[in-house]
Parts: sequence; structure tokens; C-alpha cells
Amino acid sequence: MATAVPYRRTFFRLLGFLRPYKWSLLLSIVLAVAAQGASIALIRVTGRVIDEAIVPRDRDVLRLFIALILGLGLLKALLMVGRRFISGRQALGVEYDMRNGLYSHLLRLSFGFYDRHQTGQLMSRATVDLQAVRFFLGYGLIFFFQHVLTIVGVTAIMFWIEWRLALVPLAITPLLVALAYRYSRVSHPVLREVQQKMADVTTVAEENIVGVHVVKAFAQEPQEQRKFQDRSESVFDQSVLANRQRATYVPLLSFVPLLAQAAVLLAGGWMVVHERLTIGEFFEFNIFVTMLIMPLRMLGMWIGQAQRATASGERIFEILDEPEAIASRPGAGELPAGEGRVRFDGVSFAYGAGQPVLDGVDLEIEPGRNVAVIGHTGSGKTTLASLVPRFYDVTAGRVTIDGVDVRDVRLESLRRAIGIVAQDPFLFSATVRENIAFGAPEATDADVARAARLAQAHEFVAELPDGYETVIGERGITLSGGQRQRIAIARALIMNPRILILDDATASVDATTEARIRLGFREAMRGRTTLIIAHRLSTIALADEIVVLDAGRVAARGTHEELLATSDVYREIYEHGLLEREFAERVEARA
Amino acid sequence: MRVWQPGSHLSMQRGAQVEDWSWRRTARRVSTLARLAGRYKLRSTLAIASLLAATLVGLAPPYLAKLALDEGVSEGDLATLAVIVALFAAAGALSLATSAAQTYFTGWTGERILADLRNKLFRHLQRLSLGYYERNRAGVIISRLTNDVDALDQLVTDGVTTLIQNTLILVGSAIILFVLDWRLALATITVLPLMALATAAFRIYSSRAYRAVRERLGLVTATLAEDIAGIRVVQSFTRESANERHFREVNAHYRDANHRTVVTNGLYFPFVDFLASAATAIVLGYGGYLYFDGSVSAGTLLAFLLYLSNFFDPVQQLSQLYNTFLAAVAALDKIMDVLDEEPDVVDRPGARDLPRIEGDVRFDGVRFGYGEGAEVLHGIDLDVPAGTTVALVGHTGAGKSTIAKLLARFYEPRAGRITIDDVDLPDVTQESLRRQLGVVPQEGFLFAGTVHDNIAFGRPGATRAEVVDAAGTVGAHDFILRLEEGYETDLQERGGRLSLGQRQLIAFARALLADPRILVLDEATSSVDIGTERRIEHALRHLLADRTAFIIAHRLSTIRDADLIVVLEHGRIVEQGPHAELMARRGLYTALYGDWAAEVA
Repeated sequence: MATAVPYRRTFFRLLGFLRPYKWSLLLSIVLAVAAQGASIALIRVTGRVIDEAIVPRDRDVLRLFIALILGLGLLKALLMVGRRFISGRQALGVEYDMRNGLYSHLLRLSFGFYDRHQTGQLMSRATVDLQAVRFFLGYGLIFFFQHVLTIVGVTAIMFWIEWRLALVPLAITPLLVALAYRYSRVSHPVLREVQQKMADVTTVAEENIVGVHVVKAFAQEPQEQRKFQDRSESVFDQSVLANRQRATYVPLLSFVPLLAQAAVLLAGGWMVVHERLTIGEFFEFNIFVTMLIMPLRMLGMWIGQAQRATASGERIFEILDEPEAIASRPGAGELPAGEGRVRFDGVSFAYGAGQPVLDGVDLEIEPGRNVAVIGHTGSGKTTLASLVPRFYDVTAGRVTIDGVDVRDVRLESLRRAIGIVAQDPFLFSATVRENIAFGAPEATDADVARAARLAQAHEFVAELPDGYETVIGERGITLSGGQRQRIAIARALIMNPRILILDDATASVDATTEARIRLGFREAMRGRTTLIIAHRLSTIALADEIVVLDAGRVAARGTHEELLATSDVYREIYEHGLLEREFAERVEARA
Repeated sequence: MRVWQPGSHLSMQRGAQVEDWSWRRTARRVSTLARLAGRYKLRSTLAIASLLAATLVGLAPPYLAKLALDEGVSEGDLATLAVIVALFAAAGALSLATSAAQTYFTGWTGERILADLRNKLFRHLQRLSLGYYERNRAGVIISRLTNDVDALDQLVTDGVTTLIQNTLILVGSAIILFVLDWRLALATITVLPLMALATAAFRIYSSRAYRAVRERLGLVTATLAEDIAGIRVVQSFTRESANERHFREVNAHYRDANHRTVVTNGLYFPFVDFLASAATAIVLGYGGYLYFDGSVSAGTLLAFLLYLSNFFDPVQQLSQLYNTFLAAVAALDKIMDVLDEEPDVVDRPGARDLPRIEGDVRFDGVRFGYGEGAEVLHGIDLDVPAGTTVALVGHTGAGKSTIAKLLARFYEPRAGRITIDDVDLPDVTQESLRRQLGVVPQEGFLFAGTVHDNIAFGRPGATRAEVVDAAGTVGAHDFILRLEEGYETDLQERGGRLSLGQRQLIAFARALLADPRILVLDEATSSVDIGTERRIEHALRHLLADRTAFIIAHRLSTIRDADLIVVLEHGRIVEQGPHAELMARRGLYTALYGDWAAEVA
């Protein structure tokens, strides 16, 4: 739990989301007050009907009062309609703003941020936490206000009618609020625990279904059954605990007001008998007491709600307060035109406070050259490539493109000059066309087809049910690894980048596909500076030159033959890393 | 607090559909639930009894208020008033006790039923053969155990109580009002049809509106999830502004759908409120007129006013129940379908335990196809003496993993037979077979739990020393010690924090500790760093010693070192023998190897 001061600060920051809606907020408050007034008036009128029409047996007055009740009822309903329309619109507006704000911010956070946070965790904040906050800001606050208003209004009017009798319901007010608040306090952790235990059950269920072959292969069904049953039983135990709390508090929350009603009956009756209270007022008191019950109970709940919403708000602000670590410098210009000379100048890099991954790399890549970077896992190949489009900033040294430090140009213009084909290309569930034109939404159909042809993707795309309009991932349309990679190549090529970064690690594809991907690569690289993170022999063969990275440094540079002769690291990677997998892969790929 | 889970927005309850309303089906549904509840007769009975008692006691207070007014206040009889108020308080206390009991017992029984159902369902799922899991998507099966049991939860723990309680309140209050004064009761009740009508219309409109809201919210969530997952691509291609525009659109779309719910709610609830005012007007107007006759007392009027809320709440609650009910029945149907599913591979009656395996494996004219599908293995003959390492080589889809699955008897061959030490597989129990078999899948599947638990998976009783020993032998000990809590490190999310090579090593340690007589291993295809590569090479040697092993091979050294290389093509064995022999034969294997060697040289 957060300490009191930041907690309160978070709460007021949350209220800040309401600022654009202050007038509609004010109006809905006015309408709520008016509707509440009508409610109280209705009950007062009920009492008056008894005293001034029914008891004196006056038909005309009775008729008048009935008309008044209907009129007030109608007025109240209309006020409620207005209040609901206005505050509903405002609640949706707040939610809309919050979602957009969070999304926009998430879009601009750096790779470093996403390395530190899991997708599921971020999604929890953007959905579950946002839900809690928007519910509180949108509805909770209004209801809270309305309930306070009811309690204050009703209590005041009871005092005005007969203050001594009003003391009775007043006595239960703190008790009921405290009880409801306490219930909300104690039940919340228990209910959350139920959810948590349920998640444990789901985990075991999932593993046993996804990993069914392992469970069966080791004949561990009985053990897994026991595990599942244990988790399932702890859901039961926890649920029973929650249920026991419910059985304790909920009936009490009904019982306490009933005691107040009994007291009103007794004391009120006594007053009527002693002519200190009219029958009508006796009616009013009885109804006023019932009218208090709901708001008093809800008040306690809402306090708990507010606390949880604030806790959620804190988690959301954690994201919103995250600085955009990588952004264009103020006044940064466009990347000047050039041929695509890439230079690493004494570049060092470390993720966070960790060990340096790159340690003083000096490397110059001539315009139009194809360089394959090779090294063990963890040697820094991917990191090296990530520094060019500024996914991360160097810790020391500098990266330049055509002589300009990448940190001195506008991020957008820098990244537009670089095409990237990642290791496991991420495609969006959109049409093939939209995926290819991802970085160039204004591209024409001809542009898209041209890029696809270059990437050797046109043929298979044409065979998809709706061609370029086929939605990926829908109706079971899944693309093979090789196909995905070729679409990713087309996606990079359509931007006609000056510099290309390729990562060739795909799972084994058949021989023809492999040849096509290679052809795609070859076309893609023509006339561009290319950095290939190579995992297979065939890709290395495409390169003009090979750079061997070892322990964050350039260990060797040269052609395949030169390196086999001179570099131990290269020979080791070649023999144990590449050759080992190559044969079986080729056999499997034989279509 | 709900935890977000991938895909959860897709599995949200859409308007549930119940297909079969026949009596037979309905009777089965009821008996399925009744059988589950029947195991807890005492608590179920107590639940129902306390539910009835609580509801009935809850009806008393307004009537007692009437008595207090008529018999006490109006008569000026304070002693009677005191007695009636005491009764009023006593009714409250009784209601406190009975509703506490009711909440406890119905909750307990409901949760118990659900836990039993979950356990039963899981037990059943575990009996089902691998074929079932390959026919059905994992997400769908998981959702039977989670979403469907959840949907049933709402009915079992809350729905039944709500149904009984509210029906009783509605009927009970009506009876009391009619007994008090039937004319006034009749007049008051005229608002009910209006109320019911408005509620029905509201339910229809709002469920339609909410479905749209859910769908569009699903789209918002899906967009968000996809863009976060693909954030690196978004930023690489500088799509931030375009995506922002798109998101705003989707978000606005959702907001607009929500506006419709604001309108329906904004009209319905005030209308109900107005009906309540109208009912008050009827009670006071017509009741006042009857009072003039002297046919109703002031107390009756008070009782009517107090009972009014008993009409409005139950109608709303009952209408809400309808959707819950439909969703629950649909869920129950899906669960019952799973329970009806029979395993494809069952132990023959009288199947005996397989004695300790030496490891002679023989495939004899084995033919196989999945389900009704085309044949994928066409007469496999294979003789593997104990202790042999077999490398299965062939292109994707040639039948390598099918052979492995048949050996573990995840499926039965269509023709031919598979024997281990001359024992026919169907003659022995599946458990005794698989206990002596170790399977290492390609991915190195890890379970949530500690490293220790994962290694000891096949031998849950293993001591720490044994686990460490196994880990040490396969060369996993060092990196395990470097994890924050060593062997006690929790591998959440299936070992997402471990590298592929590390996961593979843990899977090796698991197989080694289980000490199977026959090992089935699917080598990882992805390349790992050199250090791990060497370690895997070394670990394999230990793992393969002294046992029969079938390896779906992806590494050259594994293939070259195997005692027997089996080359498969289109479901047939085209060549078999050790490397040297196959090379000497100058057949397909030689061709493949030669091509490759020429290219890398």
C-alpha cells in the first residue's frame, strides 16, 4: 500500500481527468440535487396526504395531492433522465480520453521499456486497471455524491420534522457505513485471492492441455490430478472463506437498519400516542428510514472502490510518467541525403545497468556493401543492428549515417531510411496489402505488388483466397515461416530504405522456399547498405564480407575463406554451430 | 481483481445459444447437477430450508409495522405497541440468523459442486487420448475448465437462490397484500404488467446494446494487445501517428456503442422510478378512498407502501437471471459433451503390467493414419535391439514423429503390430508402458513451478541430491545455480526466462532422472550458442547410454553417431543402417550427404 500523501496526490491527479468535463459535471450534480429534492418532497407529500387529506377525509385535497405526487414523480424521472444522459456521456468521454492518452504514450515508449515489461502486465494495466479507474470516475463519483446527498438531505429533513426522533436513524449511520466499509476492506483481498487461486487452477489446466504429451509420456496423470485437485480445493477453501464473510456481513447490513426501523416504530408510535407527532409524520419517518438504507450501505462500498481505483490509477500513472527515453532532440533536422555509409565509432552499449554487450566497436560499412554479422548467442549481433535505427542509444561512442550522428536527426526521418526484417517477423492481423504497406500507407496497389515481387512473395500471395486482400490470421489462414519472412521483406522494401537490416533466423523451410528467400534477400540488398545477422551458411554466402563479433568486440573481418584460415572463433561457429544443424535441416527441407 | 490473459477478450461470453431444449436433454442436465449436489444431502437440505425460512421471515416486517400502527398506535395501546415492536426486532434477528445460514449453506454447496465438477472434468480430460487433444484446439479445451465452469458458477451459487428467493418474495408479498385488502391489491398490481413490459423491452434492447459494446471493446483490446506485441515493428516503420488515428477510431466506435447503453439505462431506470411514484399515488389515492369507507386502516396503507419495493426489485432481478441462465445451460451442455467423450486408446480388459523393459523394439508391418484421414505410414518394419540409438531422418511430414507416437501408444496402428521385448503393446497397461518410456519434446516443455519440480517431473519423489546429480550429468547444474534461487527458482510462464538451450537441458535432466528404458527424443531445431551446443552434445551421450533411443535428429553428429539411421520418405523406410554402411551403399543417404558436403566444402 502506498503511503498517505502520494496516495492522496494520485487521487487528485485522477480527478484531473474530469477537468475537461467540469461544466457537465456541475450540471449533472445540479440535476442530481434536484432529483434528490424531488424524492424527499415525494415522501413529505406522502405524509401530508395522510395528515391533510386521508385523516380529515377530504376528497378534494386528496385528489390534489395525488396529482402532486404524479407530477413530482414525473419531474423526478425527467431530472433523472437528464442526469443519466449527461453523466453517462461524460463518463464515456473520460474513458475515451484515458484510453487514447495511455495508448499514445505506450506507442512512444522505447524498446528498453518494453524489454523491462511483459505484454501481459502492460495489458493488465491498460484493461483491468483502466476499467477500475474509469468506473470510479465515470459512475462511482456521481453515485457517491448522490448517496452523500441523500443521507444529508434525509437526515436534515428528519431533524426539521422532529429532531428527537431523527437521532434514532442518525445513530445507525456511522455503524452502517463502518460495517459496509469494513466488509469492503476485508472481502477485497479474499476475493482477489479467489481470483489468484483460480488463475493457479487455470495454469495447471493449461499446462496439462498444452503439454499433454509430456504428462502422458511420463505417465504422470495421477500426480497432475493431485496437483489440479489441490489447487481446485484451495479455490474452494478460499471461496468458502469469502462466502463466510458474506454470510457474516450482508445479513448484518440488513439487520442494523431494521433495528432503526423498530426504534422508529416504537418511539414514533409513542410520540403519536402522546400527540407529539402526527400519523403522517409517522409514515414519513418510516419511509425515510428505508430510503437511507441503500445509500448508507453503498457509501461504505464506494470508499473501498475509491481506494482500489486510486491503486489502479497509480499503476496507470506509472506508465504515463515513464519518460520517452528515445525521442527526437528539439530542433533535430532531417537525415541528409546520402549513399548509406554506416559507421560505428567506439560504440559501447549495456542494457540498463548490466554488463556491457558492446565494448568499443569500430566498424565502417561502405555504401552499398552487404555485411554479414556473425557470432555466438549473446555476442551482441542483434544489439549492434538495433543501434542504427536508434532503438537504443549508445552508452559511449557514436553511430553515424553518412557522417551524421543518428541522435542528431529526427527519429522519424532516421527510421524511414532504414528497412528492417526481424528474426521472427511480426505480422498484424490485417490484409496482406496492409501488412506490406505498413510503413507506407499511401502506397498504391502497383507499389505493393512491386515490393512483393522483389521479395518473391507475389506468387503465393496471388494464390491466397483473396489475394492481397486476404486477412492474415483469419479463417485459419496462417502463413508459413518462409511466407511471413517474404512479406516482411516486402514490407521493408516498399519504403525503399537506404539501409537494410536483415535477420535470417527462420525455422527450416523447404528447399524451394529457401532458394526463394535467398533470391528475395539478394534482390532486396541490391544497391543498399545491408547488415545481415546471419544464422546459416546460405546467407553468409550472400554477403560481400563477414564481421565476426565476439564478447562485444569485432573479432575478425573478411571473406569466408579468409576467416576460415585466420579466425578461431569463426571456425568454431562454422563447425559446431552451422554445420551441425545444416544437414538435417536440408534433409527436412527436401520437398 | 481479474488478471489479463492473452486472448481473453476473444473468449468473452457472446449471447449464449442453447441448441437442444428436448426433455431428455433437460432431464440429463438436471440429473447431472442433482447427482453432484446429492453427495452433500445434509448441506443441500439445510441450504434449501434456510433459504425458504429466510425469505419467509423477510416478508414479516412490513406486516408487523401495520400491526404496530393499527393495534398499538391507533388504539393508544403502548404495551401492545411494545410487544409488536419486540416481534419486529425478533423477526429481524431471525432474518439475520436465517440469511446468514442461507448464504453460508447455499454458497458452500454451490462451490462444492463446482469444485467437484472441475475435478471430475479434469480427471476425465486426462483419460482422453492424445487424439482428442490434436482434434480440438487447446484454447477450446481450456475454456471448458475455466469459462464454462465459471458460467455455471453464476447459476449454481447465485442464480438458483435469486430465482427461488425473488419468486417467493413476489408471490408472498402479493398474497399478503390480497389478504390485507384485495381491491387495493388489485389496483396496485396494475403497475406490474407495465413494469414487466418495460423490463422485457429493456432487457432486449440492452442485451443487444451490450453485445455491441462487448464486441467493440474486444476490438479495442485486440488492437491494443496487437500493437503492444508488435510495438517494435510499429516503431521501426514509424507508424505511431497512423496507429494513433486508427486507435482513436476504434475507441470512438466503442464509445458510440456505449452511448446506446447510456440511453437505454437512462430511460429505463427513471421509468421504473416513475412507476414506483405512480404505485404510491394509487395506494394513497385509492387507499385513501377506501379509508374513507372505513374498509382499510392506516396500517394497511403503511404496509402497502412498505411492500411496494418488494414488487419492483424481484422483477428486475428475475429478468437479469435470464441471461445468466442461458449462459449456464449452454456451458453445462459443452461440459457434458466433454464428459461423454470416450478415450480412443483404452487398456484392454485384463491388460497386465509391462515387466521391466530390456528395450528390444520391433515394428511389424505397421500402417497408420490419423482418425479417418489418409494413411501416413505404409507398412513400417523395423527391428531395434536393446540399447540401440536410432536416428530418424527424413523430410517434414515423412512420418518421423508418428513413429515416435505409436511407440508410446498414443495411437493404435491400423494394421501390423509393435512389440517391446516381444510383448504386444495392447497387451499391457498404458501406464506401465509409459513409466518406462521417456519423451523429450523439441521445445523442452516446462511447467510452472520450480526448477527442481520440473526436473523431478517424471519421478516426483526424487531427492534434491538426485535432481542435482541429473542436472550435473547433463551440464545444467551451473546455469541453474546462477538463477536467483537456484533449484527453487520458479519458472513462471513456462520458462520464458530460460533460453531455448537451457530449456532443452532441463528436459534432458528430467528424462535422465526418470531413467526410462526407452527414450524418445525430438531434437531442437533452432541453433543455440556454441557453449550450449557442446553441452547438449555431451548430455546426449549420457542420456543415450544403456538404453534404446529413438531420436528425431536435427544435428549432424547425432545422425553420424547413431547405431542405426532410418531414412523415411512419404511414410516408408527407404534406407536403414549405420552411417558408414549407408555411405557405402551409395543410395539416397549418400546422395543427400554428398550434395551437402559438396556445397559446404
